[in-house]
Amino acid sequence: MNKPLLALALAFGIASVASVQAQTPAASPAPAINDAQIAHIAYTAGEIDITAAKQALEKSSNKDVRAFAEEMARDHAAVNVQALALVKKLGVTPQDNPTSQSLSKHAAAEIKKLAALKGNAFDKAYVDNEVAYHQAVNGALSDTLIPSAQNAELKSLLETGLKLFQSHQMHAEHLAQNLK
Amino acid sequence: MLRTMILLAGLLALTGGIAPASAASTAKQPAAAQAHRVHRIVIDKMQYGPMPTDVRAGDIIEWTNKDILEHSATARDGHFDVDLKPGASGRVTATTGMLAFFCKFHPTMTATLVVK
Ligand SMILES: [Cu+2]
Repeated sequence: MNKPLLALALAFGIASVASVQAQTPAASPAPAINDAQIAHIAYTAGEIDITAAKQALEKSSNKDVRAFAEEMARDHAAVNVQALALVKKLGVTPQDNPTSQSLSKHAAAEIKKLAALKGNAFDKAYVDNEVAYHQAVNGALSDTLIPSAQNAELKSLLETGLKLFQSHQMHAEHLAQNLK
Repeated sequence: MLRTMILLAGLLALTGGIAPASAASTAKQPAAAQAHRVHRIVIDKMQYGPMPTDVRAGDIIEWTNKDILEHSATARDGHFDVDLKPGASGRVTATTGMLAFFCKFHPTMTATLVVK
C-alpha cells in the first residue's frame, strides 16, 4: 500500500501545482512546476530519506541494514549540500508546494508506523519502504521533475539524483531479498 | 643507457604535462616506452568514465572520484576494493584478464576493463 499511496501523493501534488498555475492567467505557457518548486521537492525527498535513515540507525542492529542506512544518509546529504549551493548560486529560493507537503506528510506517517516496530519486523518494514519510496521518487524525477527543470545545472543535478535513487533502489531490493 | 632512460623519462613527463588532462585518457607515450603506464578512470555523476584501452599487465589503474558522492572500485572477483571519497584517487596494479568492477555502494555502477 506504500508505493501506490506515495505515487498517488506525488502525482496528486504535482497535479495540484499544475492546476493552481493553470488558473492564473499566464502570459506565456509556463511549465507545470517551476525550478524553485522542483528544487524544494528534490531537497525534501532527500531530507525524508535522511530522516528515515537516522531512525533506522537508532533502531536497527542488523549490520546490512545499518550500512544501507548510513549510505542513504551520506549520499542524500551530499546531494542536498549541492542542491543548496546551487539554489544559492542561482539566487533561487526553494518554494514550498503541494508535492513537497504531501511527501512530508506521508513520510511523517511512515516514521510513526516504523517507530512501533522492532527487530526484524522493523528492518523489513524499513527496507520495503525504502524500495517503494525510491521507486516513487524515481518516477517523479524521470516523468516530471527532470523534464520540467528549466535550469541546465538543476537538470544535471536531478539527473545525478535519479541515477543515485535508482542505485539505492537496486541496493534496497537486494537487501529486501536477503531479509526474507 | 641510464642517461637515455632518464632523458626519456624527462621527455615523458614533459609531454604528459603539456597534454590536456582529459577524462580517462591514456597518456600518449612513444611506443618505445617500456615503463608501466598509468591509466586514469574518472568517476562523475554516478558513473565510471570511458575505460582506457591498451592496458597491459603491470600498468597502474587509477580512479579519480570527481563526483559529489563517495564511490568505490570493487573487483567482482574480490581482488581489490578501492574506497573513493569525493575528490579522492586510488590505484591498483593491473593483472591480465577481464577486470570487472563495480561500486559497492551503488550497484548500478559497473564497468569492465580488458588487461592484456
Ligand atoms: Cu558509487
